[in-house]
Amino acid sequence: MVLNKKDFIQMLIGASDALDEKIDEFSEIDSKFGDGDHGVTVGRISKVIRAKAESSPEHETLSEIFEALGKDIMNVNGGSAGPLYGSIFEGFGEGLTGVREADEAAIKSMFTGALENIRLISNAQIGEKTMMDTLIPACEKAKSSTSPLPQLLLDIADAAFHGAEYSKQCQAKFGRARFHKEATIGTMDAGAYSLYCLIKGFSAAINQQ
Amino acid sequence: MMKKFINDPSNLTQELLEGLALANKDIIELVRGNLVVNKKLKDADRVTVVTLGGTGHEPALQGFVGEGMADIAVCGDIFAAPGPESCIEALKLADRGKGVIFVVLNHAGDMLTANLTMKAAKKEGINVIKIVTQEDITTAPRAEANNRRGFVGCIPAYKIAGGAAAQGKSLEEVAAITQKFVDNMGAISVSLTGATHPVTGGDLAVLEDNEMGVGMGQHGEGGGYKIPMKTADETVALLMGELLKDLSITSGEKLMCVVNGCGATTLMEMLISYRAAVKYLEAKGIEVVANIVNELLTVQETGGYQLFVARMDDELLACWNEPCNTPYFKKC
Repeated sequence: MVLNKKDFIQMLIGASDALDEKIDEFSEIDSKFGDGDHGVTVGRISKVIRAKAESSPEHETLSEIFEALGKDIMNVNGGSAGPLYGSIFEGFGEGLTGVREADEAAIKSMFTGALENIRLISNAQIGEKTMMDTLIPACEKAKSSTSPLPQLLLDIADAAFHGAEYSKQCQAKFGRARFHKEATIGTMDAGAYSLYCLIKGFSAAINQQ
Repeated sequence: MMKKFINDPSNLTQELLEGLALANKDIIELVRGNLVVNKKLKDADRVTVVTLGGTGHEPALQGFVGEGMADIAVCGDIFAAPGPESCIEALKLADRGKGVIFVVLNHAGDMLTANLTMKAAKKEGINVIKIVTQEDITTAPRAEANNRRGFVGCIPAYKIAGGAAAQGKSLEEVAAITQKFVDNMGAISVSLTGATHPVTGGDLAVLEDNEMGVGMGQHGEGGGYKIPMKTADETVALLMGELLKDLSITSGEKLMCVVNGCGATTLMEMLISYRAAVKYLEAKGIEVVANIVNELLTVQETGGYQLFVARMDDELLACWNEPCNTPYFKKC
């Protein structure tokens, strides 16, 4: 199986759907140790993703779609989530450079691109209660999994889920939450959770076909 | 339950910026929707000052744009930093050939955006120096200042930078003076009541009737500790003691002292607290040579204030005493 542009458009819509479903939950989690508006920012990011999915001109390549999305997301004026999600999407685009139809290798490259690009602005490691708790295991799984598509996307989403779950037991080291210290243990990181939802949305769009 | 005079919560920033521009037509103008720009910027033959940050903290940050302070404030959304693109536009617009000072508060989103902006500015060849304000003394020791949050100190910092720029100093000189000022700032917050997030209506902080929070962040986030309520004088003694210790300030020194109301604390309480601060310092042989007692950087209807001090010298005082004209701070 390979994923063509139509599939990627479905993946973007799937991601947007998955995010929209949890908007209030993101804000509620964020209100415990942040300022309670992660859902507001993610809602805006989701809107940007959906708009691109619905209006991508025919000549736009996969790489161009994701790079344009990266730029738009970076500029939603959404605090740290804007630059972080923007970097992930730009990285997806870089990983998909020259790809017309994505095979397993292209998906691996897409996720590697995201991790490499976000590394330019964040040095957060696994266990520091950030979206990296989701992104790093998802990218590692993309690299190591030997599953063919579409199972590969399920594997990645599964790793993302466990990463987001793991963030519950960690103490925040970044952002406003870090000032709450050990009180943050037991609550999932809002960014780790929203990123898992996005990746799950990618996978669900392909695996439900 | 949220009880505020607002319209569609998703238009708060746009509407408040439009209101600010309408109320101050001869001082500022709104450019590109989220840049609050000094109307006299076009004629500026000096170093200029740009800052960025979320809204919802009125009058900060954009209320301090005008001749003698910030030249452009790049506004994000409620409590959320703007993206790098509008910051780069602001730096380009601000650069009058003498370079730009970019004042950034140490908060995760602001710093991410500022770092991306600095990278792009370098590519574009814009002559800009970034100054980070990080004066909240409760979140980390002074040696780890990069783990300290930016509080109200950005506002006097704009004034120092703007004053130095008005004196015709070079970019490097303005940066050195501003850096000296920010390196000698300290602030600590005290909270009595929380606020609601104006978009979501959610609680920002919850405090019991008989307790106060010392050292909380400006979005109700943690850090610090909760203790039973104290009087104004006792509270100031506690906070000022911490500040003097942190800055190692001793008898004979000169200070700036700011009491920054966070939104629901009355001017009466601010003045009573300022009086206590001056008396406390006088008793230790420390002179207050500059001050502001007002709401500068608020968090909606949060009850409480930030007590801020900065070590002053003749050079800083000369910059402080330069005239300025912004919507919410003027000096003639």
